[in-house]
Amino acid sequence: MRTDRLLTSDSQLGHDSGGPEAADLAACSFAMARRFTSGGTLWCAAPTWPWHAQHVAVEFVHPVIVGTPALPAVMVPGDHLWESLRPIALAGDILLVVSRSDDPAVVGLRQRAQAWGLMTIWIGAGPRPEPGSADYVLWVDDEVLSAYGGRFVLLYHLLWELTHVCLEHPGLLTPEQELCEGETCITCSDEGRLAEVVAVQADRRAQVRTPAGIETVDTTLLETVRRNDLVLVHAGTAVTLVQGSTR
Amino acid sequence: MSPENTDFLYPFIDSAEHDADSLLTDLAESASAKATENSRLCRSCLETLGNDLEQVAGMIADRFRVGACLYTFGNGGSATDAASTAALFSRSPGHTGLAARCLVADQAVLTAIGNDVGYELTFSRQLIAFAQPRDIAIGYSTSGNSANVVLAFEEAKRRGLLTVGLAGYEGGHMAASDAVDHCFVVPSHSVHRIQEAQAALSYLLWESVHTKLASSRAPASAGRWQMVVGQASTEPEEAR
Repeated sequence: MRTDRLLTSDSQLGHDSGGPEAADLAACSFAMARRFTSGGTLWCAAPTWPWHAQHVAVEFVHPVIVGTPALPAVMVPGDHLWESLRPIALAGDILLVVSRSDDPAVVGLRQRAQAWGLMTIWIGAGPRPEPGSADYVLWVDDEVLSAYGGRFVLLYHLLWELTHVCLEHPGLLTPEQELCEGETCITCSDEGRLAEVVAVQADRRAQVRTPAGIETVDTTLLETVRRNDLVLVHAGTAVTLVQGSTR
Repeated sequence: MSPENTDFLYPFIDSAEHDADSLLTDLAESASAKATENSRLCRSCLETLGNDLEQVAGMIADRFRVGACLYTFGNGGSATDAASTAALFSRSPGHTGLAARCLVADQAVLTAIGNDVGYELTFSRQLIAFAQPRDIAIGYSTSGNSANVVLAFEEAKRRGLLTVGLAGYEGGHMAASDAVDHCFVVPSHSVHRIQEAQAALSYLLWESVHTKLASSRAPASAGRWQMVVGQASTEPEEAR
């Protein structure tokens, strides 16, 4: 029986295994625990393999270890990912996706999520996504292993186990700091921020959604603006169209 | 504020903790240890259960040859493992699809049976409606004791199905039941490690079923298998 492909090394983590590093799982779990502590919800999607999204959600909602707190985690349909999340996901939530890197349902994952203020976790196998495609990318290089879901199951089991260890250290789980230091403040001035168009106004202005809420921006620099477009906002002006409104 | 420092009595509410680095180091070590245990457990299961798994794969292949449908079932995380296995058999890229369905897939049926006659009958009631004697039932329960899984095996056995169980711990009722023809027990007390090893066993079972099917000719009888053979001839070589 061919076990060599399933068990490439003595561990399923770290460079030799072609899987993610243990330190990446640790950092990801810590960030998840922080968001749960601040009231965040974990949204789970796996467009091609919906059972993985269900498995992640049930781990958190109904823990196997008695006495472990239930945490809000929800499976969302992968084929209508953005439409399902748009009205319900809030800034401070987490989006965990299990998919291949070329899955059309999750194109532009991080940018759209960033405009909404969601932290993103991407678990998958095969060719890796572009660097920076999610806040945490937990990848298995061997493509064969996407049909064998066991490696994914291990990864999200570990995320659950480590997140609960973190929750036993509430003193470390303070909310992420919004630093506002004069001219370099991201929120107030200098840097381009991703925003999603909520409503287009007649005066060449538009209402956009950012993690901070709804704000009105000038759109004269853009040729056309449509609802759900993703734009880059700089100093009260939409300067670039980042992603069309097809999602 | 307080003259006595009693924080040490309440380590879980120590709000004075500031050093995330040492926690992160502990977390990474814990993850590595668990991943190593995962490998050890999977290897040990394949060593002890590998031969039986091959034999069962042969029996499953025999049934697919005469048009069997595979039904999978389980609860919670095991329900998702059952869904994963059904999908692996029915629509894995590069391989011929085999008739397989997960009995957890339809919420209307599940809630109707659960509401009207009881949750423990959710799977057995469906087998009464669907199953033929030539079919195959694969059920998952980490404890081996899930009432609806055990009852489904009893119904399946009464109807002549080949029954295959995947359990953990010491196997529970599933390992002891005459209704389960072959029970693969993952000897662990961690639900997570059990499910991971069951995923490996399921994958290897599926792979072995395809090996068995490829190494034999189909009989002349009508039914699903002929359809399957027709598809197989157009599959790329790697699928064989």
